Amino acid sequence: MKHDMTKLDSIFDKYPKSQESLIAVLQDIQKEFQYLPCEALEKASEILDVPLSKVFSVSTFYNAFSLTPKGDKVIRICVGTACHIRGAKLLQDQFESLLKIKAGETTKDMKFTIEVVSCVGACAMAPVVAVNDKYHGSVKVSKVKKMIKA
Amino acid sequence: MQIDSPKKLKDIQKSFTEKSSKYPKKILICCGTGCLANGAMKLVDTFRDTIKTKKIKNMSVEMVKETGCHGFCEQGPLVIIEPDGTFYTKVKAKDIDDIIEKSLKKDEIIEKLLFENPVDGNKIEKYKNISFFKHQERIALRNLGKISAYDLDEYISVEGYKALAKVLTKMKPDEVIDEITKSGLRGRGGGGFPAGRKWKSCKAIESDVRYVICNGDEGDPGAFMDRSIMEGDPHAVLEGMMIAAYAVGASQGFIYVREEYPLAVTHLEKAISDCEKVGLLGDKILGTDFSFSVKIARGAGAFVCGESSALMKSVAGEVGEPRAKYVRSVEKGLYDKPTVLNNVETYVNVPVIINKGADWYAKIGTKKSTGTKVFSLVGKVRNTGLIEVPMGITLREIIYDIGGGILDNRPFKAVQTGGPSGGCLPEAMLDLPVDFDSLTEVGSMMGSGGMIVMDDKTCIVDVAKYFLSFLVEESCGKCVPCREGLWQLHKMLEKICAGKGTMEDLDKMEKLSENIIRGSLCGLGTSGPNPLLSTLKYFKDEYIAHIKDKTCPAGVCPELITYEILDNCTGCMACISACSFDAISGKKKEIHTIDQDKCTKCGACVTVCNYDSILVS
Amino acid sequence: MIHITINGKVVECKDGEMLLSVIRRERIDVPTLCHHEAVEPSGACRLCTVEVTKPEWDGWCDYVTSCLYPAKDGLIVNTHAPKVNELRKSILDMYLARHPKSLKIKQLAADYGVLATSLETVVDGNNCILCTICTRICDHMGFSAISTVGRGHGKEVAPPLDMAPADCVGCLACAKNCPTDYIEYETGNGRLKIWNKEFEMVACTVCGKTTVTKEFAEHLSQQRDIPFEYFEKCDECHRKELSATMGKIANWEREVRS
Repeated sequence: MKHDMTKLDSIFDKYPKSQESLIAVLQDIQKEFQYLPCEALEKASEILDVPLSKVFSVSTFYNAFSLTPKGDKVIRICVGTACHIRGAKLLQDQFESLLKIKAGETTKDMKFTIEVVSCVGACAMAPVVAVNDKYHGSVKVSKVKKMIKA
Repeated sequence: MQIDSPKKLKDIQKSFTEKSSKYPKKILICCGTGCLANGAMKLVDTFRDTIKTKKIKNMSVEMVKETGCHGFCEQGPLVIIEPDGTFYTKVKAKDIDDIIEKSLKKDEIIEKLLFENPVDGNKIEKYKNISFFKHQERIALRNLGKISAYDLDEYISVEGYKALAKVLTKMKPDEVIDEITKSGLRGRGGGGFPAGRKWKSCKAIESDVRYVICNGDEGDPGAFMDRSIMEGDPHAVLEGMMIAAYAVGASQGFIYVREEYPLAVTHLEKAISDCEKVGLLGDKILGTDFSFSVKIARGAGAFVCGESSALMKSVAGEVGEPRAKYVRSVEKGLYDKPTVLNNVETYVNVPVIINKGADWYAKIGTKKSTGTKVFSLVGKVRNTGLIEVPMGITLREIIYDIGGGILDNRPFKAVQTGGPSGGCLPEAMLDLPVDFDSLTEVGSMMGSGGMIVMDDKTCIVDVAKYFLSFLVEESCGKCVPCREGLWQLHKMLEKICAGKGTMEDLDKMEKLSENIIRGSLCGLGTSGPNPLLSTLKYFKDEYIAHIKDKTCPAGVCPELITYEILDNCTGCMACISACSFDAISGKKKEIHTIDQDKCTKCGACVTVCNYDSILVS
Repeated sequence: MIHITINGKVVECKDGEMLLSVIRRERIDVPTLCHHEAVEPSGACRLCTVEVTKPEWDGWCDYVTSCLYPAKDGLIVNTHAPKVNELRKSILDMYLARHPKSLKIKQLAADYGVLATSLETVVDGNNCILCTICTRICDHMGFSAISTVGRGHGKEVAPPLDMAPADCVGCLACAKNCPTDYIEYETGNGRLKIWNKEFEMVACTVCGKTTVTKEFAEHLSQQRDIPFEYFEKCDECHRKELSATMGKIANWEREVRS
């Protein structure tokens, strides 16, 4: 997959060129491309003067980063405690079996990605599912089919 | 205009108050994450558009305020009409004309938008009469829901930055530290370390550079106090940090915010840039010699980064692996410099303590745990949301008086506090006063303030498994007891939930837990077994039921339950269309049946059945 | 200098010196898997945990990793307290479950009486015990070619992007210091292969035996001012040359004296 790497320059311009900017830079790259392309990691290593191995280590340590592209619709199921006891696991099972992928995976047609997130801090509306940053509260298992079609 | 003296603050306060008294009423719309998800932004736009296009007399778009989170997210979007204090819940855009005509032009109440007390079904008009708010004492949450979340002038109008002006012009750094020490303020992030003592030891270390960090990582699942504060009152966070920085002699601060909280980041960024513009951040603040700047470091999704040494590594752009803290971070913290790290809630208490005095603050709460604590009261409780209560209040008062009791009148089973490091407490503990030490004594902990209520439909073994799976996922993997030990505990819990556990497993888990606690490098590991140990202590019967009887009394663990359709099925076919796995069959007006081979126990049928005809056992 | 007590014996040491180094100096056997003198301590294996107390602690003891705990005057250390032994046993039990094939782990566990794990054996458990001596040494050498990847139970050591690491010079510091001999490399035909990267070796100009990789020799000659020619002779030939020189000197001295 080829990307418009010129976008990277404007990201790097925003931050001091040192290791302390690494996480912020990777977050912006992730936001731009929905994942961290190899070329971007190499460029981050070069410009911030951080060994590539450290860049890779950071990119695989934090949940926010993904090294594989994501689907058009990213379904993030909150599995925080409040959501868990109000049935988040059942929602996850339902999404997984309907889309035939596991959490963290993307459908072959690149339409859907399922992710679980430990808490989005919207516990009073548990269980919560965010579809591309739009939050849905008090989601019922019986609504999952509709959410996928919508 | 530059705010370069305390007098300028007073001028702004005066002019802001004059400006807003031009209009008889204010419309406060909650724009916290919860209400936004329910369409609050549309309400704001519609209110403003309507007022603008209809050119209503005595009204202006300035009356419409986007406020921070009230904590009553379940009822959102929330709209409050001031000064009447009329409280409308679940407001929709189509209600707006009605609100303008009746409640703004006149003083009428719109009955159908009022909150209905779930306990007795009565409608409640005023914000302050709702039991959810009535029993609270709001210090940290003082401005939430009352002022615009990102208007510096409005923050100043409610005595914002007054405490900063006071310390910079009238107090020596040591006097500030003494005041905070005297107030008894303890860190609200979980451990409860006295804030004043922390500041004092940081200041005592000889160093050219010191840092002040605000921990807004709030990793505990089921807790959202800090999110709401950062979103709704970002200036209070900054003011608290500035006072701390002045006290310890720091000139650089960092706020570490979870990336799952995008709105908090936006609001903090706005608050910082507003302060920079008027000189409240930068060089020579308020015309004194104090200089301070703040940067935001976004977390990237790692629970372990709530641990101070891991957090500091993350701020430096590294992998968030904790280090041994035999040398404390007040001595050697960020970039090996003395560092004060407190969490969001701790900092927002600071300006109030300075303004009202340590003695005033110390009178609230209990002797050893002064002040108030914010909890996110969630789970199977009627009123869920954010609450702030004086320390020493009992769990029963929180759950029944504020929370309104258990959802659907089911029996109470347990309350979980302290997040993944805490524990589950049974009914017998409900009269326990909530403070740092009492909770720790009974095997749980205060933590950052998540309080998750569970009813009889919550499986306690499943909850323990849930927390262990969370911790296994979040362990940094550096030290062996945490990486391997928690994984083993989780495996054993999986076995028990699947009905394959043995009684020896229980002993083995307890023994392993003891060594994980003794051997782990950081708090994640040393407190990791708590959810298991506390449930084993108070709910052993439920473990035994899973092991000996191979049943899950709460009807949760899939391997131990079956779904069955009872004779009172009306044959409405709702469950048939809800089932994604074609496991239910039957004709209209005939009792349906479930094919056990196809049933995945996903529970979809139960959520659509209106006749309680599906038995889970 | 300060005084601490280790297993009942009063010992002199420097203020702030790490306990483990004092313990080792006293020839007391405390096991470690992640400790290496060349790199800073990490505290990952927890095996060097000891019990510490002070008279003024009112009988309270703490359990600390001796590799990271600075000695303070009056500290009382017990390297083999019952709870310490129990902890080591438990840790070795966990190790054994994870790395059932590792000889090093089996041996150490047997020393502590753990002959078989009481826990669930990890099916695909390899011999990398995540001590991170390799990554720390690689950092110290100045290459940072490999690092830990991921986190938690699935953490591993790998080169970036799982490709041949550009920064690796084939110095073998990682492989030679791996306590479980997990890091593999191949040599032959004047070449070296490690982390899926192939290197050309420098050959001894005298006997033709290989010395170090060309990249490593270049690195050392540039960074450490060692002439490149130094690596064009193997250790044995260096020694032969040295003994020849010494012989010449001896002859010359004899001549001068007579």
